[in-house]
Amino acid sequence: MSVTRRIAMTVNGERHEADVEVRTTLVDFLRGDLGLTGTHVGCEHGVCGACTVLWNGRAVRSCIMLAVQADGAELKTVEGLADGATLHPIQQAFLEKHGLQCGFCTPGFMMSIYELLTRDSAPSEEDITDTLGGHICRCTGYQSIVEAVHLAVEKMRAT
Amino acid sequence: MKPPLFDYATPATLAAATALLVQYDGEAKLLSGGQSLVPLLNMRLARPAMVVDLARIPDLDYVRADGEGFAIGGMTRQRSVELSPEVRVRHPLLYAGMQLIAHPQNRNQGTVGGSLAHADPAAELPAMALALDATFQATGPDGVRTIAAADFFLTYLTTALEPAEILTAVRFPTLPARTGWSILEVARRHGDFGLAGVVAIVGLGADGRVASARLVLFGVGATPIRAAGAEALLVGHAAEPALFAAVATRAAADLEEPLTDVHASADYRRDLARVLTGRALTEATTRARSA
Amino acid sequence: MTGHDDIPKTLAGLPNSAPRYIGQPIERLEDPALLTGQTEFIDNVVLPRMLHCAILRSPHAHARIVSVDVSEAEKLPGVFAVITGEDAKRWSNPTMTVPPGWGTHCLATDKARFVGEPVAAVAAISRYVAEDALELITVEYETLPAVADARKALDADSPLLFEEHGHNVMLQKVFTWGEVDAAFANAAHVVQQTFRWNRLGANPLETFGVISQWDLIAGTLTCRGSFQAQGHYAMARAMVFNLPLNKVRFISQPHGGSFGGKGGARGTDITALLSRKAGGRPVKWIEDRMEYLAGGASQAWDRHYDAALALDADGKVTGFRVKLLDDLGATAEGWGAVSAAKPLSNFTGCYTIPAAQYDLTIVATNKLPGSPYRGMGPPPHNWVQEQLMDLAARKLGLDPTEIRRRNFIPPDAFPYTIASGNEYDSGDYRATLETVLEMADYPALRAEQARARAEGRYLGIGVVNTIEPGVFDWNAYAIVGQPGTGVPEGCTIGIDLFGKLTIRVGFSLEGQGQYTVAAQVLADWFKIDITDVRVVALDTLSAPPHFGPGGSRLGVALTGAVLGAAHRLTEKLIAVAAALFQTTPEHVELRDGMIGVKGMAEAQMPFQEVAQTMLARSDLLPPGVDPNPEATYVWTAAGRTPADEQGRAKSYLTAANACHVVLVEVDIETAQVQIKKYWIADDCGTRLNPANVEGQTQGGVAQGVGAALLEEAVYDEDAQLRTSTFMDYLLPTIYEVPMTEKRALCTPSPFTPLGAKGCGEGAMHTTPAAILCAINDALIPLGVQLFEIPASPQRIWTLLQRR
Repeated sequence: MSVTRRIAMTVNGERHEADVEVRTTLVDFLRGDLGLTGTHVGCEHGVCGACTVLWNGRAVRSCIMLAVQADGAELKTVEGLADGATLHPIQQAFLEKHGLQCGFCTPGFMMSIYELLTRDSAPSEEDITDTLGGHICRCTGYQSIVEAVHLAVEKMRAT
Repeated sequence: MKPPLFDYATPATLAAATALLVQYDGEAKLLSGGQSLVPLLNMRLARPAMVVDLARIPDLDYVRADGEGFAIGGMTRQRSVELSPEVRVRHPLLYAGMQLIAHPQNRNQGTVGGSLAHADPAAELPAMALALDATFQATGPDGVRTIAAADFFLTYLTTALEPAEILTAVRFPTLPARTGWSILEVARRHGDFGLAGVVAIVGLGADGRVASARLVLFGVGATPIRAAGAEALLVGHAAEPALFAAVATRAAADLEEPLTDVHASADYRRDLARVLTGRALTEATTRARSA
Repeated sequence: MTGHDDIPKTLAGLPNSAPRYIGQPIERLEDPALLTGQTEFIDNVVLPRMLHCAILRSPHAHARIVSVDVSEAEKLPGVFAVITGEDAKRWSNPTMTVPPGWGTHCLATDKARFVGEPVAAVAAISRYVAEDALELITVEYETLPAVADARKALDADSPLLFEEHGHNVMLQKVFTWGEVDAAFANAAHVVQQTFRWNRLGANPLETFGVISQWDLIAGTLTCRGSFQAQGHYAMARAMVFNLPLNKVRFISQPHGGSFGGKGGARGTDITALLSRKAGGRPVKWIEDRMEYLAGGASQAWDRHYDAALALDADGKVTGFRVKLLDDLGATAEGWGAVSAAKPLSNFTGCYTIPAAQYDLTIVATNKLPGSPYRGMGPPPHNWVQEQLMDLAARKLGLDPTEIRRRNFIPPDAFPYTIASGNEYDSGDYRATLETVLEMADYPALRAEQARARAEGRYLGIGVVNTIEPGVFDWNAYAIVGQPGTGVPEGCTIGIDLFGKLTIRVGFSLEGQGQYTVAAQVLADWFKIDITDVRVVALDTLSAPPHFGPGGSRLGVALTGAVLGAAHRLTEKLIAVAAALFQTTPEHVELRDGMIGVKGMAEAQMPFQEVAQTMLARSDLLPPGVDPNPEATYVWTAAGRTPADEQGRAKSYLTAANACHVVLVEVDIETAQVQIKKYWIADDCGTRLNPANVEGQTQGGVAQGVGAALLEEAVYDEDAQLRTSTFMDYLLPTIYEVPMTEKRALCTPSPFTPLGAKGCGEGAMHTTPAAILCAINDALIPLGVQLFEIPASPQRIWTLLQRR
């Protein structure tokens, strides 16, 4: 018999309350219940990083979290990056440096990069590589993504 | 890949949590960081009747320096240990080992207690715990007890924790003066479980000879393995390459059947254990000389 | 009326004195929607009353299906339809295959032929409930012996995949081009070697997904999904379901990568049958990653090679023999056989090899049916050839670069027809080689290698050249039974009332930046701002004739379609403008966005105004002029010839060329390989958008690294899959992929729009060979060589124990 729980959380600054089946994964909740389909599902076992969102400011793999674990949390997804019609500097950097091709892995990458750059405005190459190392991109071969991160660092320091 | 049906609880106290474990008599699973459990749920390889989420229990998330070690709560995120400035300065082995665990995104969620209780034979935290003679605090329905690392890892994915016990804290002693360390592993990709790994801790005496030695091999057996026979060859002797080679050969030879899987045969793992032991001893000794 | 020859072959042919987009790394139009998460991938699509599908798959590699009991599953609340092979037999045909006759229904009927083969399926209110329902289905299997080894599948007493054939050989033929036997008989040197390339595959980040809706009353089937080639899959489904093609509507959603095989035939058929059984409700299936790895388009190139080069005393290759045993898996449904045919398009590589032979056997085993994967066959073939060139160099005491120089097709020999029949359009292989050697400072690399060897370290250098064929045609695959010639790509260009332009195409986004290229070309033709152009994808019933991406064709084909349509539209505008200027069309031209009388600078108007006149004042139009300011053009490569009995045909239109130099270090104690540096010189003719090209190149390098070192679908001898998750099937991360230094050369194609060559598959043709050759170069002093891929640490370690 299905067990449900009422949970409440803030996503991209907006409060949501819902009854969820306790077995629902966080990514399915975000995509299905909240309609935030910018976060993608690539593997459902925590390897590829396409599902990465920020949970209380930390980049986590939402395919291996239960929605109920986010009860009371503050979440941020790719939909929370742009400011109205203005792309976030990270998004803008990806655009300028061709840091994406099919774009499926991109939201996940950007959330991890967001965590890194809000914690450290001048990250080392090692830290950048370590952050990006938790994600798989099948299209770009990573070189333009690294360039996008460097440009994002510059852009965020300028703002 | 969607989880099967299960019940779920978020107990507010340890007593409530252990009571649930007693009530469900082996059919409950503890949820801490979820990095091991939730993939198993998604694959329907784990089918608990009840998932007990420890997140609401207070005072399980801390990193405290206490003189000669660090006490770390069971629900402490691996990333918190890694980002602790005190750990970085005072426990460089623990700091280095944390960075080998998967990727930052896993470490943001995965917990120290979760990794130790799961006891994957190729995991870094169990190996470091064994090498450092860590002590484990287990809380059960009948109270709290301390388990030594040497007694904690029983066999594949199995620890000395009773079914209704929760790993609530671990204490990692720091290294004394004139002691060097090394943690090395060979993995197919950065962040993967190692095909083989070694933790080496070497203490030098005033005469420059090896005064103490700890060698733990991981990824090559059902649990992390203390290479006691190899350690014995080190103590009292001059720390030099020829010795390290002999010790490494002994450590590898002493391994009972290492695992064979799709990535590495038992023979290859055994040889990696030998090579990594030699390299780890060299690195640990170099660090000991400047420690 | 616009013809093929009206399409400009150079920028000078555009009616624009200063084009500013073509050839520039323009930011992509598709990116803002992708970056904000707005792009509508299939799993974003929700339709009213939609159900979710889960598929029950065989746990056995080979088993008779005795019974399937779905009664308990049907009773589970939330379940609306359950289907089995009986339903598939009743309502569908077995799928078409290439070679023909080796296909089945979408659900196993009498037996299961591979682990992961669909046996039953459920449609329920959620994927969660659907998976619960699967657990209530009881299947009685009678297991049969399975065959996992291609060589054993040839034995007379092997288990048979299709009993009615009496054997497992899907195809066996020897193709001989030129005097091969004489070449080998008279050779001064022969180099022969066996090679093993293990299964691996595409693994786009997005798996396949589909929503099917079968309206029994209207008799229509509508499928939305991540289809790489919507028209191709629609046609196949129409045949499977005996539906007229105009009752089948396929809508391709933007998708998260494909790399060759994204079309999900079985998933589409299964959801269609479920929809039918559920009274026409839409049914969605999103393939999960484990399903993809075991049962999807995830495996290719399971190959045993025995190959040889014949050389004269000067190191000129006089003959090339390749014997290939290609294990296609349990059926030919995945179209993987085309990968065994494509090597004919570049069989002899960059070299003037006059005689060659291809002894091809395609065999069935109880493994996943193979699918196309980027490169489609040449990646393994190129590895075999380039490794043999290195072995030959060593035998003759030549540097690997020197033996290649001695054999290159010279730059004045183009167009050049190779022994296997295809024609290379243009190239300067020597220039590519010398460029990359200069980038890498090759003599310094060799010096560094020598110093390292003296210190007991093993560095290896790989220098590998390949042809990367582009712009495929069906005739390239004729030898495996693929019929037909001619792959069309059409687009319709229209100008609206406010003077903005829309390009309508028949494919959706996949990652290669094609919409941006189309907009660049059109914006330069009409000298407008690229932001004035919009590209929209149409479905199979409304789009002009199309194929979409594949075989490194779309950049060229789409450019041809856009230019052709632009030319045709310009003709219409000129006809109208001539009437407005009271002259005749031959006195009117398009120049820098203006339509005007030739030689009269003041008699002109913006082309948008002509279009507005057409839309608003059709009464002013001269007779015989189509009033709609829109035009369609369908581009197809010219001069494609049907294949002869030896498979020879002008197939792939363009021949891009690349030379890679890679420096690796092999740690002989741990058997790990580290890629230290990587240089690429490549020539794909005119680069329409250099950023796109570099992205494709670097992406190809990453997949090539995966193929060389990490990726392998492993089956045990009972044909059980051992690599069922991303814990065991290893994709390269940033740590494993080198950042490469790239330089572009350009020998334009004389045959294509603007001289561009197909380049999307790019580096995948070259990187695996480069890395494996480099590893073997490192191992020379140790007296061992590796001829199996991936070069995993385990394989290298095992090899090193024999030194």
